[in-house]
Amino acid sequence: MKRKLFHQFSAPSNLAMILLMVFPLVYAVFLSLNFVTFRNITSPEFVGMANYRYILSDPDFWRAFRFSLIIIVFTVPVHICLGFIMALFLDQVSLAVRGLLMSMMLLPFIVVPVVGTVMFRQLFEVGGIMSYLYQQVFSQPFVFTPMSVKVLVIFHLIWYVTPYPIVVFFAGLQTLPEEHLEAATVDGASRIQQIRFIVIPHLKPLLLMIMMILIMDMYRMFDSILVMTKQNPLFQAENLMMYNYRIGMSVQRLGRANTTAVLTVIGILVVLIPFLRLQYRNKTGKG
Amino acid sequence: MTPVKHPLAKTGIYAVLILFSIYSVIPFFWAILQSLKTVRQAFARTPLFFFTPTAQNYTNLWFTSTPENFWALGMIIVGTAVTFILLLMVSKKYAVPKSLLIAGIIIILAAALILIPRMMNMAEFYNYFVNSVIITVGVVVISMTIGSVSGYAIARYTGIDSIIILIAALGFRALPRMAFALPYYSLGLATGLYDTYWIVILVLVAANQPFTIWMMSAFFADIPKELEEAASIDGLAPFPAFIRVIIPSAWPGILSTGLFSMLLAYHEFLLVRVLTQSKWTLPVAIVQFTGGEAPGHVTLAAAAAVSTTIPIVLIIIFFQKHLVKGLTGGSVKG
Repeated sequence: MKRKLFHQFSAPSNLAMILLMVFPLVYAVFLSLNFVTFRNITSPEFVGMANYRYILSDPDFWRAFRFSLIIIVFTVPVHICLGFIMALFLDQVSLAVRGLLMSMMLLPFIVVPVVGTVMFRQLFEVGGIMSYLYQQVFSQPFVFTPMSVKVLVIFHLIWYVTPYPIVVFFAGLQTLPEEHLEAATVDGASRIQQIRFIVIPHLKPLLLMIMMILIMDMYRMFDSILVMTKQNPLFQAENLMMYNYRIGMSVQRLGRANTTAVLTVIGILVVLIPFLRLQYRNKTGKG
Repeated sequence: MTPVKHPLAKTGIYAVLILFSIYSVIPFFWAILQSLKTVRQAFARTPLFFFTPTAQNYTNLWFTSTPENFWALGMIIVGTAVTFILLLMVSKKYAVPKSLLIAGIIIILAAALILIPRMMNMAEFYNYFVNSVIITVGVVVISMTIGSVSGYAIARYTGIDSIIILIAALGFRALPRMAFALPYYSLGLATGLYDTYWIVILVLVAANQPFTIWMMSAFFADIPKELEEAASIDGLAPFPAFIRVIIPSAWPGILSTGLFSMLLAYHEFLLVRVLTQSKWTLPVAIVQFTGGEAPGHVTLAAAAAVSTTIPIVLIIIFFQKHLVKGLTGGSVKG
């Protein structure tokens, strides 16, 4: 395909992305330097770096940042380990059973995130199965506290996102070099050794990619936390996205909210840039 | 991997998998039970598993007054379902063009959506449902049209430009939604597009583009180049060749990508919440049901959650293979 034709074909899509994604980002940077509320939405007032100074010295911002990091640290390793184990196990069962099990496992990931959270939360509310079991085991009722809500958020994110690494690792397992495994079996390598020395090295690029995607997805998680905390400030379970949402929609300081958005974008670049470089190398074939 | 032989290990593997599957679906199971209870039953100290189910929550959710012509509603639903199945069977047998089939399905759905409120008093929830359908269909149609043309071009062009576009798209995809929602909010208010279907559809199309072109380019890369070479020998220009020769052989990929595009639009909460006031979709409506502490909301929320999930369950039953392909699309070769 010629270059000119390529650009003609991809023009509508590129136009949509530039107009609807690049332009708003630039506009967000502009708004972040202004004082904007609902009153002066069409005539922003330039204030320079004042919004940045305010946000960066707001203890709530740093608490949200900490919770964002906590979410990543407690969920991503579990996603990956659980996903890998389940994929290995799924690889062992017969085709008919596998389809059914996979459908059931996929459900949390495919359902509307808000709905999944509502359902998960209901288990722990008064009259739910989990709150009943909790009462039986600890002989005190389950209460939503700042601590327990944070734990629930993490549990929910594990329930919700694990299907994704399961499916990807399972697909990766189907591309294993069979002859290596056979050679290893002949040499008397145990199953654990096979996994350690053949399967994991083979899946390493995939593992790295999934890890980066999961970190970025957990970082920008929003729906789940909103429903789990019901936006109750008492729980102090805001991550950066929730903080951003509150500044914009509840406090209605649009300038400051855009500042927060710009800061969160800068934050994600730490993972995004290595990820994009990795992808670029994969695509261009430079090892 | 070589299969495990030891019977004990085998049993262990099955046990773990079954337990994990049950753990995955328990919230759904419980939501279904809660949605069929009265408020008093739902709050019982010991969770109730056996009770006389009531459809009250669903009628409260969907209707303002209990419809007298329940039968008519039943007939419409059954009729739609039967037509769908017939359509699918006919299309399998006589190789009806896929685009015609999809058009047929959209027409039937639209007819049902218009007919139902004429016959009974639908509650607010029905409007949210209709909004969800409008936005989802709009997003899928626009996004797939421009995305598949671009994906094809990316798959066929070997220069550096296509790689740059793919990488940039990936970057967009990873950015937090909030970074787009806020500037759009200001822009929407300034241009008067705020609170219209258009702004939501346009923004979601843009948000879906990165994913769409990645998946479509991966699928088109698997389609043999000889196809369009033959077409160009027959004297077809590139674009007609794409429409008449490439598209028909790319249907599995289009279906996979379309499904995900659909799910992304159906799932969206934040952008709809920020950019609209009267065009709320199901996810936004459900947050409203669960936001308050009123006891009656628990069973209602369960009914709303189950109602929203039914289409998803149907998709998973019929299209599981396409979903799996979509999830791994591009990231795993083989």
